[in-house]
Amino acid sequence: MKKLVLTTVVLTVFALTAFKPIANKLISKDTHISFYSHTAIEDITANNYKVVSTIDTSTGDVVYSVPMQSFEFEKAMMQKHYNSKKFLDTKKFPKAKFTGKISNINDVDFNKDGSYEVQVAGDLTIKGETQALNEKATITVEAGKVTLDSKMNIVLANFGVTFSGGKPSTNIAKEIEVTLKAVYGKE
Amino acid sequence: MGKRTKIITAILGFGLLIVIGVAYYMFNMPQRDVQSAKTDFSLSSSEIVNQYLADANIANEKYLQEEGDSKILAVTGKVFAISEDLNNQKVILLKDSSEKAGVSCTFTKETNKNAENLQIGETITIKGVIRSGAGFDEDLDLYEDVIMEKCDVIRE
Repeated sequence: MKKLVLTTVVLTVFALTAFKPIANKLISKDTHISFYSHTAIEDITANNYKVVSTIDTSTGDVVYSVPMQSFEFEKAMMQKHYNSKKFLDTKKFPKAKFTGKISNINDVDFNKDGSYEVQVAGDLTIKGETQALNEKATITVEAGKVTLDSKMNIVLANFGVTFSGGKPSTNIAKEIEVTLKAVYGKE
Repeated sequence: MGKRTKIITAILGFGLLIVIGVAYYMFNMPQRDVQSAKTDFSLSSSEIVNQYLADANIANEKYLQEEGDSKILAVTGKVFAISEDLNNQKVILLKDSSEKAGVSCTFTKETNKNAENLQIGETITIKGVIRSGAGFDEDLDLYEDVIMEKCDVIRE
């Protein structure tokens, strides 16, 4: 009898641990974020390929960690301005971060090829300032590979990036377009 | 027009040309050539990772530069992984298997070919510019690597 109880306990514990929710974390270090600023005077583009991101396919949690000094500009002068204390102050704030949730994660079948429209809501922190963000994104599943694409507009002043005068105030748009792509794999 | 006025006009004109020239140069100044610039620090991948894990603020103070022209490092370590990013640049992860994080080194179109014949486990030295440090990120629930870009393999 004792043996039977013990066996039952062992089996129950085993069954419970074996069926605990499996961590469904997808990781991406294969990313591209670019931003584009358009004014009548000039267009400015910068590219960053060093973003790290995770998606939890069961809860819909998404995280993006953006190393700010990895944005590469066409002109050295633009890059210096961008990194400087007056603008993004990347020495003091080396990373920007987005943490959020895909509200309709259950609509995405990660085991089936297809393209899914998702809604992502969360907080974006740049230069120590946090703002709520609510954007559309597309998740594409193809041959086991998961890709997320999104495009959004960001108002620089919301993150304490303001230009009071001189060239930057005329050459940099108040609102910039950010394009994001991340290709995910299993942990 | 008197002789004097002519000379003044000539000087002013010349001065203006110089100002325009300097402004034009500043505006179009090329990006820093990391590979031909002097190496600021030579160290192992474990050393830089451990400096960041010990105190990221001190390490950022030491390695990052305000206008983005951060320190140029020559990092020696074991090749842990070889991949390619979305810009078709080779990415070599230098990492000791006992360490929690490594140094992720992105090559360029020009230096890609030097990363092609590397073997996993091989010990090499890579020179590049540091972009950000290593650390545990609670949201990602992962250790992030030190990031270096504009990399190339250097041979002593």
